[in-house]
Amino acid sequence: MSRLGIFVDRKTLSNAEQLSALINCRDVAENRGHDVEFLFPVDINKIPKMDALFIRARTDPMNITYVAARMADFHGIPVIDDSDSIQICGDKINMYSHLQKKNVALPKTVYLSKNDLSVERVSQLFDTLGTPLIVKEPSTSFSLRVEKVTDIAGFFRVARRFIKMSDWIVVQQFVESTYDWRVGVLGGKLLYACKYTIPSVTFKIQASVNGHIVYCGVESVPEIAVPPNVIQLGIDAADAIGNGLYGVDIKNNNGDARVIEVNDNPSLESGEDACYPLVYERIIDHLFTA
Amino acid sequence: MTRDSLAVVKRNHAYHVIAEDYSYKTEAYYTILERELSGENIHPSSRNVLDAFVVPICLERAKLTGIPVMEWGISQAYVPLPAILYGLNYFATASDFFVVQDNEQAKDVVKHITNKGKYPFCYQKLDDGATIHTCTAVFGRTVGSCTAIEGYAEKIYNLFSIPLVSMVFVKTGSGVVLSSLAPTRYTHLTEKERALLAAYRDEQEFL
Repeated sequence: MSRLGIFVDRKTLSNAEQLSALINCRDVAENRGHDVEFLFPVDINKIPKMDALFIRARTDPMNITYVAARMADFHGIPVIDDSDSIQICGDKINMYSHLQKKNVALPKTVYLSKNDLSVERVSQLFDTLGTPLIVKEPSTSFSLRVEKVTDIAGFFRVARRFIKMSDWIVVQQFVESTYDWRVGVLGGKLLYACKYTIPSVTFKIQASVNGHIVYCGVESVPEIAVPPNVIQLGIDAADAIGNGLYGVDIKNNNGDARVIEVNDNPSLESGEDACYPLVYERIIDHLFTA
Repeated sequence: MTRDSLAVVKRNHAYHVIAEDYSYKTEAYYTILERELSGENIHPSSRNVLDAFVVPICLERAKLTGIPVMEWGISQAYVPLPAILYGLNYFATASDFFVVQDNEQAKDVVKHITNKGKYPFCYQKLDDGATIHTCTAVFGRTVGSCTAIEGYAEKIYNLFSIPLVSMVFVKTGSGVVLSSLAPTRYTHLTEKERALLAAYRDEQEFL
């Protein structure tokens, strides 16, 4: 009997939806004949005893999930998310660079070093990329540290804040839309698709508005109802990163699809997979046949 | 070299980035990443600098190459005493390590490095009488270190290829073991270490 470790942390278990999703995952794995053990950060030394590892905690190259992924690497254990994917997707500069290298369609994207932050350079960015601009701190997740700016003064206010956390930042052309496609890809194949409806009070899928967190709406969409160019772009974007599990966010205005970002460790607890009942079966089979 | 400056030197058909701090999302890290993505043979790699400064990964990789390392564990609260503690999160740096001797002190340090329990941390139990020693390696060479540390510095350089790194060792009755690697400031270098770095930067040959 094979052993599956599901690596979690306190935060993963802090809401009911995540907990239900994890229990569902465990039940699916057990029904497929695997032993399942939830591993917390203090259990990291148990990773070598596992036959496969599924990380379900917020990933970052500077946190314990990266240690877990590397421990799996050292012991030849198949893992989702693998350490390369964590390193690439955890840093938008790394992630966009991989997409650009493979000619994946993106909004116009520029990286700005703190050493190049000048009025002339910023003015040039508005001229080249248009107004407004999107400014991102590279390790943002859940749309934190993503801001829309409309003038040079606003740009500097945001950039100075982000440059305290990163020597380089991302500057991007703004693409307006009322929803993002999220294309789930596993091992280079479509796993699920859904729409994230952007709240009308913001341009992000999650935002703090007047002190309250506003979340996007989630609508799972069957494959037949997803534009083929969106599916193909999602697969191409995932392939530019690796062979693991990714959630690719895409804006598709009038058929001009562009990747907004590729996420490792994509959310599966908010109904993203409602039209795709075999998501966990496929993830677990992928891990054990890797 | 001045604060925050970096240099790229070519030696033996490879480029080497000399910087004070190779940590994630620094100018040095992105310089490496940019060159890696354009296919250059650049050292250290972005993977190596990430691995080197996340303490448990650094120790696991060092152990696999035969360098003796401290036993480590991950905790959310419990600390065996005495111990060295390292933060393990987005805001932590391996340069900041804390030696705790008693429960009161451990409680305060754990609160600090875990951001009030939000993140786990890495601990290394210290044997009685253990002492901590920090020294700097320049392209795998040290100035005025014992033979054991000289040997480890070279092995660490072969492993991570980081031109300038601070090494933290723990000395016990049975020998010297690695506790962590961390970035180092140019201002912390001795005259001799600066001369060694300048010689590498200016591509002088060593016999």
